[in-house]
Amino acid sequence: MERSTAWILAGAAAGALSGLLPAQDLLAKAPPQSQPVLLRNAVLHTIDGGVVLGGSLWFEAGEIKQVLPAGSAPSLPPGREPLVLDLGGKHVFPGLVSACTTLGLVEIGAVRPTNDLDEVGDLTPEAIAAVALNPDTTAIPVARSNGVLTAAVFPSGGLLPGRASVIRLDGWTNADLTVRAGAGPVVAWPSDAAGRRGRRPPDRGAETGEDERGERGAKKARQRIDDAFAAARAWLDARTADPEVPLDVRHEALIDALRGEVPVFLLADDLEQIESAVRWASSRQLRAVVVGGRDAAQCADLLRERRVPVILQGVHRLPRRDDSAYDEPFTLPARLAALGVSFCIATGSDFSNDRNLPYHAATAAAFGLDRNRALAAITRDAAEILGVGDRLGSLAAGKEATLFVATGHPFELTTQIELAFVQGRQVDLRNKQTELARKYRERYRQLRER
Amino acid sequence: MRVRSVPAAAFLAAAVLAGAVAAQTPPHNGPRPVDPGWYALTGARLVVAAANEAEGFHLVLRGGRIAAIARGAPPAGATVVDCSGLWIYPGLIDPFVPTDVPALAADATDQHWHPMIQPQRNALDGALVPAAERAALRRLGFTTVGCAPSGGILKGTSCVVQLDEPTPTEPVRVLRRAAAQVASLQTRRGGHPDSEMGAIALLRQTLADAIWYQRCQATPGVTARPSAALQALAAEPRLPLWFDVQDELQALRAVRVGREFERSVVLVGNGMEFRRLAALAAARVPIVVPLHLPDAPDVTTAAAAERVSLRQLQSWEQAPTNSRRLLDAGVEIAWTTARLRDRKDFFARVRDAMRCGVTADDALLALTTRPAGLLGIGDQAGSIERGKLANLVVATGPLFDEGTEIRDVWVGGVRHVVTPPKDRGLDGTWQWTAGWPGAAGAAALLSIAGDRIGCKVGTDALEVTAVEREPDAVAFRLAGAALGDDAAHWLRLHREGEELAGTRMAPDGSSHAVRAGRQPAAPDEPGRKRGDRAERTPPVPARGPLPTPLGGYGFVEPPARRDFVVFGATLWTGEAAGIVPRGAVLVRNGRIAFVGPIEALPTLPGGADDLVVVDGTGKHLTPGLIDCHSHTGISRGVNESGEAVTAEVRIEDVIDPDDVNWYRQLAGGVTTVNQLHGSANAIGGQSCTTKVRYGVLHPDEMRLQGAPPGIKWALGENPRRANSSGTNTRYPNTRMGVEALLRDRLAAAAAYRREHAAYETLSPAERARRLPPRRDLELEALAEVLAGSRRIHCHSYRQDEIFMLCNLALEHGIRIGTFQHVLEGYKVADAIAAAAVGASSFSDWWAYKFEVYDAIPDNGALLHAAGVCVSFNSDSNEHARRLNTEAGKAVKYGGVPPAEALCFVTRNPAIQLGIADRTGTLAVGKDADLALWSDDPLGYAARCEATWVDGRLLFSLANDRALREGIAAERQRLLQLAAAAPKGRTAREGDPKDAYWAAEDQRQDYCCRDCEGGR
Repeated sequence: MERSTAWILAGAAAGALSGLLPAQDLLAKAPPQSQPVLLRNAVLHTIDGGVVLGGSLWFEAGEIKQVLPAGSAPSLPPGREPLVLDLGGKHVFPGLVSACTTLGLVEIGAVRPTNDLDEVGDLTPEAIAAVALNPDTTAIPVARSNGVLTAAVFPSGGLLPGRASVIRLDGWTNADLTVRAGAGPVVAWPSDAAGRRGRRPPDRGAETGEDERGERGAKKARQRIDDAFAAARAWLDARTADPEVPLDVRHEALIDALRGEVPVFLLADDLEQIESAVRWASSRQLRAVVVGGRDAAQCADLLRERRVPVILQGVHRLPRRDDSAYDEPFTLPARLAALGVSFCIATGSDFSNDRNLPYHAATAAAFGLDRNRALAAITRDAAEILGVGDRLGSLAAGKEATLFVATGHPFELTTQIELAFVQGRQVDLRNKQTELARKYRERYRQLRER
Repeated sequence: MRVRSVPAAAFLAAAVLAGAVAAQTPPHNGPRPVDPGWYALTGARLVVAAANEAEGFHLVLRGGRIAAIARGAPPAGATVVDCSGLWIYPGLIDPFVPTDVPALAADATDQHWHPMIQPQRNALDGALVPAAERAALRRLGFTTVGCAPSGGILKGTSCVVQLDEPTPTEPVRVLRRAAAQVASLQTRRGGHPDSEMGAIALLRQTLADAIWYQRCQATPGVTARPSAALQALAAEPRLPLWFDVQDELQALRAVRVGREFERSVVLVGNGMEFRRLAALAAARVPIVVPLHLPDAPDVTTAAAAERVSLRQLQSWEQAPTNSRRLLDAGVEIAWTTARLRDRKDFFARVRDAMRCGVTADDALLALTTRPAGLLGIGDQAGSIERGKLANLVVATGPLFDEGTEIRDVWVGGVRHVVTPPKDRGLDGTWQWTAGWPGAAGAAALLSIAGDRIGCKVGTDALEVTAVEREPDAVAFRLAGAALGDDAAHWLRLHREGEELAGTRMAPDGSSHAVRAGRQPAAPDEPGRKRGDRAERTPPVPARGPLPTPLGGYGFVEPPARRDFVVFGATLWTGEAAGIVPRGAVLVRNGRIAFVGPIEALPTLPGGADDLVVVDGTGKHLTPGLIDCHSHTGISRGVNESGEAVTAEVRIEDVIDPDDVNWYRQLAGGVTTVNQLHGSANAIGGQSCTTKVRYGVLHPDEMRLQGAPPGIKWALGENPRRANSSGTNTRYPNTRMGVEALLRDRLAAAAAYRREHAAYETLSPAERARRLPPRRDLELEALAEVLAGSRRIHCHSYRQDEIFMLCNLALEHGIRIGTFQHVLEGYKVADAIAAAAVGASSFSDWWAYKFEVYDAIPDNGALLHAAGVCVSFNSDSNEHARRLNTEAGKAVKYGGVPPAEALCFVTRNPAIQLGIADRTGTLAVGKDADLALWSDDPLGYAARCEATWVDGRLLFSLANDRALREGIAAERQRLLQLAAAAPKGRTAREGDPKDAYWAAEDQRQDYCCRDCEGGR
């Protein structure tokens, strides 16, 4: 086993540049999977089918073919020499899914030219994250190194900032990266509390993007959002009846959502915000996903009845009010689970720390959420809410071979990620930071020798 | 200006009253008017002072003063004013009426360099009390006010004036020209100071300068640069400082400044004093208390109710008890109408206070004797005594009772009618009794309502025209068929008691006497209003002890320090013993008395009955965590960004013990923090090493006494203002400039040090003769840096700037305390090891701005390997709750051994802060700062179960559960109460006019990691 793992690691290293990596990702991307890969003697965390001790799994052409319990022999295709990796009891997990991030749209938060998040105007659903992603951003390999292999990238700013895209964290081009370009329009549902607060809410999450704050501002802004969807609907009906009706890229951007093919991502944290956003989506027959969800437990009935899932914008947050329980955000996932609300966990943080995604779930687990459910909240449940659950999020035959091998559970800080595959391609787990560490270890080695 | 024309000598007289200084008044235009000003008020009940009433006396006023209080017949020459059935009180005194005073010319040579320092102003230079306000105050019974100049930090002196109208010979009657120096901790956005601590520093420097200025004048052969501002302060060192404070914590800070400079302090409060009652009572300073109350919290919708905090609800409910609680705590209070949205509400607010237990005597004291004493006019006003000013309130009943009306207010012997006795005047319905021109026997009725006059005979209305209405007379023309002819009659009627009498001129030119008698008025509408009022009276809030701080997690009784033992837990000692699997820790008198394996625990001596035993089996016990970079609990501004060098600014001045984030951090095992100034300046303010002693009564109790002082410095983008919008004009704009500025200030500090050292070597006699060098708070702090007694904690990112500071430090023989953030520290670890006590970093933050693009999570491990003492910090209220797992990342990235990794948040920050002898490890003799964890503290599975600071249990899961239940119940009770509150204004969040929000520091989650960090 050790030989084969070492081989595969050496192979990856040989293909990459050694030494210094300047200010962008200079690592080669992974080549397409050329032979079947069999992972043997592993603890398989399948998510759908529980934990399989001593199991094995093989994939070919980027797709998982079989997930087998201990003792079962794989039915590998004849005539194709597989790469067999004996994992010696190490753990295999589906790639983690960062369900709401700005990864790839921003390089350095404070440097405006590197920031592609916010298009001019409040209503810009035509903006689509997938076209502006930088495949060579240094942030992708950093996120990947801790098992995050899939991400949903959200534009921000204004009322309809654009459409989120689901991407995989390896690829030469945007096309390689893209799993689903138009995963759904983002709706920053205005909060009627913004004006009363007199300042922006301290937490990340929903932003009104409006100059006019407060109840009146919110009412107007909500009307503008509704008008945009109404206009798109009218345009769609007209164009369906008469193809001569000219193209409107903004209206067109909302078609999938109007047809129910993709959800609308409603940014809402506040109780009133969530309730009104969900009711609005229902009134327009839109599929809603709440993003943020700070007060979701207080409208659990509504969310459950309407089958509206929630992308929690981080577990590591501050409580809402001064008198709220100190662990209110930590216990929120457990409370939602108990209330039967469907949810997944995102970081709610800056793109640069997507690598900390498993720790948000780990905290939720420490504060009452079932550990397996917590893992599902950053894999399968996230993939399903993002509309890519058929392809990603668990270890199951037919799904993409997007997975990683680790020395332990990703919730543990002692765990190291050793191997990762995206669509069956073995990706390099080094990044700018690991190489900088290596570079300066060399400096101190030289100093010692002096 | 008219006020300036009043001769100075007049101000100096104890009382300046008409006639007394005739020689200095302008000549009369014509014969001199003579007003004997001699009255006898008879028949009233006299309330000469609180709890001192008398009946059967008359009051003689003469020459503006009370000439006699006597029985029997009033003196023959006095004009008798019948006050039978009325109550006479001493005139009320409002000690604090803010008034606009023009700012001094900025270019005057003797002007202070800072425009907010204008102590040489006097309220008399301003508008004083405008006529409308004078009348409004008199209507409430006020006769005398203290006028305080507004605007600035040292605003000028207040004066005491009578509230009467100017006469040709006397524009204003001044009782005291300079009663107090008025101060506040005002800030200004985008200028200096833009933080409360900056305002305090500026104030302290000015007061220190005044002392030095005085010394200059006393030293022969020395001429100080003339300064009217310092002169004003130096000349009157005994003049009390009146602090207009925004909140109760500011009040304590004002007291602290007053103590330091030996100035007596009077606080002008904010109505929220009850929230820090014990500390304010201990300060033993008088408080001028405003009576405004918070508006009811907005609970119109469920969502709105959800937003209201318990602290707001409690503050709203308890605010009316403020005065009662202050009195009970022995605080001397005076009341003011200041801060009321509408002065007319004053008596309603007085009654609110009385509903909560303030007696009529307390109220009268707070409005007469107390303010008179505070203003230094107790010999002239505040009670009805012979020889005192004839300042009186004549009321129809007990002054504070609902329904009592104020008849007259006498100001210095001059009568001002407020509410004349109910006199329906001409208004009403009158029936002709004589002189009716029409058919006799017809019931002719005249109705008068103001200018509207109607006349009817039966149902026939007559035409009334040409109405001329005077107070007690009316003239009009009357025409109509009921008069028997079509021509007009002219009438003029005067009121004589309840009769109208007058003359009618008929169309034929004949005159006739007319009379009419008043018809009884229809009874009033049933008392709807009264019913409303009864419904409006909210329940009287309970006056039991309140928790400190208010808001849900405070303590009614500070938690006791008890001896205890934790046994069976895995001990992370941070000492040579490393991790002890089944250990015990014994705590006695707040200190660790034993640490070791359970078997080695000595037999507990007798009397161990009150020893608390904590079973730690299966758990982990660590030293309390130490956050080496915190901005938690800093009031009103983490940055003084108005200047590039603010070494004079001190965090210790603005510790905010109310911040609930303290509690949340206790729930994350944090027991000590390094409270740092922001990073907007190359040389920032002084830091404070603070123990998380949540629930202390006075903020100063949170400071870790004996900890070496520190100071924040900052390099790179923040002091360069590189990420702020707009162009930067403040030096420095480059890293080159940062270096130059630091070098320059260190040179200045070195010179300062030499100068002071030279003075100290002089003999006492010589020192007394010579002028000491001026005390400069900024250079004083930097001199301490050079002396090695103050540690630099320097915000830094890039290797070049870190390297620069290392060299600068070596050059000046300084050892840096810590490099903070230090994300490129791994590139120059050797330089850091040589120049600094340690490096305090984030575990894994990067890419938020350009200078952190090369940050790596192995930074800590690499620095550690190079021999640097490394800590991980939070720089955020949120991160501070999980420092333990931040330390765990040193294991993940770089393989630091677990026992060593935990030291990144315990022992190492203690070393960096110079408090390792007190805390940071489990060792005998150290403070019992401990955290108990459910699991390996480096992992996310660990929950903090209990936290002790100095042996006091300040957090535990069990206590937290109980608190939550209490909070839930209290919230529901108060939300229901708010929902039942009478309809009216509700408090808009952050409204500076609302009594709650004005006093509430709207804490922002500050983090100097933010690019705009420390705007």
